[in-house]
Amino acid sequence: MTPQTDIPMPSYTLHCRMFREAAALERLCQVVRIRGFRIARMAVESAGDHIDIALTLEGARPITMLQSQLEKLHTVAEVIPAQASGVRVQSV
Amino acid sequence: MNGAQHILEAFHRHHISTVFGYPGGCIMPLYDALVDDVGVEHVLCRHEQGCALAADGYARASGKPGVCIATSGPGATNLITGVANAHRDSIPMLVITGQVPSGLIGTDAFQETDVLGMTLGIVKHSYLVDDADALPGIMEEAIELARSGRPGPVWIDIPKDLLLAEVTDAPFPTPEPRETGCPDLAKALSLLRSARKPLLYSGGGISLANAEDSFRTFAESSALPAVVTLKGIGNAGKCNPYNLGMLGMHGSRAANRAVDECDLLLVIGARLDDRATGKLDGFAPDAKMIHIDADAAEINKLRPADLAIRGDLNTILAALTAELTKKSLTISNWQKQCRTWHTTGGFQAADNEEPLAPITGPAFIRQLSRIAADDTVIACDVGQHQMWVAQHYEFDHPRHHLTSGGLGTMGFGLPAAIGAQFADRNSTVINVTGDGSFMMNAQELATIRRYNLPVKLIIMDNQCLGMVRQQQELFYNNRESQINLDDNPDFVAMARAFDMPALYIERTDQIRRGIETILAFNGPMLLHVAISREENVWPIVKPGAGNREMLDETRRTSPANKEHVA
Repeated sequence: MTPQTDIPMPSYTLHCRMFREAAALERLCQVVRIRGFRIARMAVESAGDHIDIALTLEGARPITMLQSQLEKLHTVAEVIPAQASGVRVQSV
Repeated sequence: MNGAQHILEAFHRHHISTVFGYPGGCIMPLYDALVDDVGVEHVLCRHEQGCALAADGYARASGKPGVCIATSGPGATNLITGVANAHRDSIPMLVITGQVPSGLIGTDAFQETDVLGMTLGIVKHSYLVDDADALPGIMEEAIELARSGRPGPVWIDIPKDLLLAEVTDAPFPTPEPRETGCPDLAKALSLLRSARKPLLYSGGGISLANAEDSFRTFAESSALPAVVTLKGIGNAGKCNPYNLGMLGMHGSRAANRAVDECDLLLVIGARLDDRATGKLDGFAPDAKMIHIDADAAEINKLRPADLAIRGDLNTILAALTAELTKKSLTISNWQKQCRTWHTTGGFQAADNEEPLAPITGPAFIRQLSRIAADDTVIACDVGQHQMWVAQHYEFDHPRHHLTSGGLGTMGFGLPAAIGAQFADRNSTVINVTGDGSFMMNAQELATIRRYNLPVKLIIMDNQCLGMVRQQQELFYNNRESQINLDDNPDFVAMARAFDMPALYIERTDQIRRGIETILAFNGPMLLHVAISREENVWPIVKPGAGNREMLDETRRTSPANKEHVA
């Protein structure tokens, strides 16, 4: 078995506004997972016809790729990335 | 009107006249409404997967949304492969399933499955209807979503009680019209004019945008050397002298060489799929890239573009054509080079002149291409025959080539051919399949018989799973594992059991007569073609390798091939 290396993943925060619908959060989480990110923290708040979701994500792929995939979802109104945080993996 | 009647009303409003389905408990209110509706033809397939794939084939051939209908539970789960197939190839599709009554959802009721949850990853969007009054608006939105932008399947799951509920007549919102402006193309033109070796790379996005004519005009007027993806086959037409054919894993040496040496890649309606690019690190290493697509999420997804343009392909192609018509590109040396490569490294399968020789896949497909009319629709399955069709059949239009590109669904071809035949009852539709793929949806022979569809079936039978066998030979030290199908049924007898005439051929001198016979027959007919078990598709790039590392038959047993063994 390959030993685990303790390389911190890049961490990002996304603020996402979705229209309220039956599977809103599942739809969001499914895209996050399949596009290669892990949810480290998630806060959800209802706001009328919308729900606002703050996501802290970890993943090695560019966050812009995930952002554009989330923006494709029909019930996503907007996705706003916050400033990147965490330790970036340096390429060698 | 009740909910079910509103669904049919939406079909009428959007000129949806053909649907593919299979009834069952929770969708029965819709089938009851169909009894009184003469404007919608319901095609009863023999398995829900057949329904979904037939709807997919209908959509690919016609450009209109395909519609499939099933009941809850197993009806819905049987649709899933077909819907995933449509999703991966961006096919416009409307999926309607019955669900257990609202009050029973979440109680593990008979034939209850969480359809919404289990299909999230294979739809463009989905709905679980919770209010009958919302249904008309959902239908309107779903149909628009399925066919707009980058198309895809939209699934509506409707509890039985809401199909039966009276719907309050009220105006429902109609989707807003899409933007149609043309982006600034000055930088694209500048890159094109400064390139010495520009290459046009197009995919399935051309026909998805109904931009076939715009693309062909652009390709001809620009005279750019061109390569296509599997789904882009036919984009350039049969007569474009600069079309190098398919690139990628089973692409031509000419196409892959041109990609390798170009200095500008103009990607239009393609997503840089791994089967096309091979290992990305070595793909078009010296090229800048202009990426034009309807879907912003495809741009910069796998390789950063030097220039990204998102928008309507018809508008963009027309604008580019207008500019290049004013002043053409100066690339004659590059054009000449590409034509030379095409001559020496295109798909060349020498026809075997020996009349008693066994039939080879490429020779058979080339004969078929020569004999069949230009507007013949070929619905492939998945495997070696699929690649031989892609390599050796000359398509004049992308909608004449129905193939499962993204998902690679064995069993696609027969139901897709049924769908294509319903899209145009007068067209010639041929399902070219393998013995493995054919058996995956053979029950749909009953659908062909029921509707007396003149679909022609060609089974290229090598008595094994040929593509798997080939990769086991080349990349797994020839350790064959579970690929043997030498106990196939008698396909001729099987066809006759469905009241369908059939022929068996095995020699080269029987090819022409076999093809001409099935094409001349006024009804469905099957041609069983025996081919060698040992035949491979060449060239091939090992999965994960770069396209430069193509293997061909002459290197089959060479040390270079052995280096690629996993």
